[in-house]
Amino acid sequence: MSAGFALDDAAWASRWRHRRVADKAVLSFGLLACAVALPPWPGAAATGVAALAVLLLGARVRARTLALALAVPAAFIATGAVPLLLTLTWESGPHVGISPETVGAAASVVVRALAATTAVFVLASTTPMVDVLAALRRARVPDACVEVAGLTYRFVFLLLESAATIREAQAARLGYTDRRRALRSSAQLVGAVLLRSWDRARRLEEGLAGRGDTTTLRTFDPPATSSPRFVAASLGLVALVVVLGLAGPALASALAGVAS
Amino acid sequence: MHIADGYLPATHAALWYAASAPFVVHGARAVVLQVREHPENRLLLAAAGAFTFVLSAIKLPSYTGSSSHPTGTGLGAVLFRPPVMAFLSTVVLVFQALLLAHGGITTLGANVFAMGVVGPWVGFACWRALRRVSASLALFTAMALADLATYCVTSVQLALAHPDAAGGFAAALAKFLGIFALTQVPLALAEGLLGLLLFRVLSDVAAPELRRLGVLPHRAGGSTDAGSTTDAAFTTDTDSADPRGAAR
Repeated sequence: MSAGFALDDAAWASRWRHRRVADKAVLSFGLLACAVALPPWPGAAATGVAALAVLLLGARVRARTLALALAVPAAFIATGAVPLLLTLTWESGPHVGISPETVGAAASVVVRALAATTAVFVLASTTPMVDVLAALRRARVPDACVEVAGLTYRFVFLLLESAATIREAQAARLGYTDRRRALRSSAQLVGAVLLRSWDRARRLEEGLAGRGDTTTLRTFDPPATSSPRFVAASLGLVALVVVLGLAGPALASALAGVAS
Repeated sequence: MHIADGYLPATHAALWYAASAPFVVHGARAVVLQVREHPENRLLLAAAGAFTFVLSAIKLPSYTGSSSHPTGTGLGAVLFRPPVMAFLSTVVLVFQALLLAHGGITTLGANVFAMGVVGPWVGFACWRALRRVSASLALFTAMALADLATYCVTSVQLALAHPDAAGGFAAALAKFLGIFALTQVPLALAEGLLGLLLFRVLSDVAAPELRRLGVLPHRAGGSTDAGSTTDAAFTTDTDSADPRGAAR
């Protein structure tokens, strides 16, 4: 499995694939709201732990898949925290420094961002994009918009494959040996992908027109089952995280007082 | 670089959603009108969205020695116009958030504002302002400045959310802009050069498509050698055959 579409691969094979998208959205977006709105410690941390537990124990997403999917965003999150670590002042010239407050602020953002990303994984790793689009259609998003988004999703994989093949061929012809050649090869690659996307669109349109299809490209929605128990359990978990996030520090100090 | 979930406070995230919403709704309306009037354009629009997504997967050599990917917002705005790009960028950003964990759901409004609204409009403004002088210069400027504008807006969004403990918003903006400038100015220039080379490639092999999109002017005398297209040719406005008419 490549890191590129680890989440999409996991979604198609998910044991929660046939749960209703709205049910899974309650859980995923509920945890996401906790990660963003609760205090980072212990609220966001508890959210992250809860989301991980849901993914590994509930949805049974493989740990390796999660690690692959989390690697790139974790690197971006870490890089993005660097400016938060630094303070900038101007006293006869710029002065850059680090203070305990900035370290705390950067750590808070990292914890919050990791928790939020993991919460989004709950939906992303259990729900293929076609199911999300079908749910949007049921939610009365205009057909034309859903259709363009659905076709975009299908074109993405075709074009990525084309781009990878063209790039491999260019590399085999020493197209990326220096910066000048690399830039020229990149331009030819982008041009070829653009032309191929137009060509694919034209051929698909001609094929559909040949079949007399000029209306919406409706397909059967995948079967989905709604579970009130699942929704209730999701809301219960979110409520537990909220209580932990808001009352956690008070509970900890009370417990410490009892112990002493 | 898109802003990840958790980087913006809830109030900021909500405000950026509110700021982006009119542009996205306008773009979605343009898409609905286009598809209603020209059903065949839904495939062209989908291809454009997929192309924007795939652009972000193409590594571009940077003059700092590293590599990154083009944002493609300038090119998209020139080819497909800013309103359509607002909608297509939203679709692409949702796909990136759910398929690649790049960007986020709560930060979607902020990312759309930077990449789907400001970037395309800056790129399109450069194209419109300079194409009569030189199409090559116009495309170079459109792609480079759309890329830079996207990252400048992202810096402003982050600085507003995380003002510096000592220097406030201004110091935070200087920090974020400084860090982005190191990596993004060379990348923006590289993306501009990519646009120049891409334009030559497309003028050679895809002049009819460029004419249909209104990027190249239609010639009254019928077919023209695409390879001989020069900057001087970019002196007429787009025509009624432009499939994006409804988006204007």
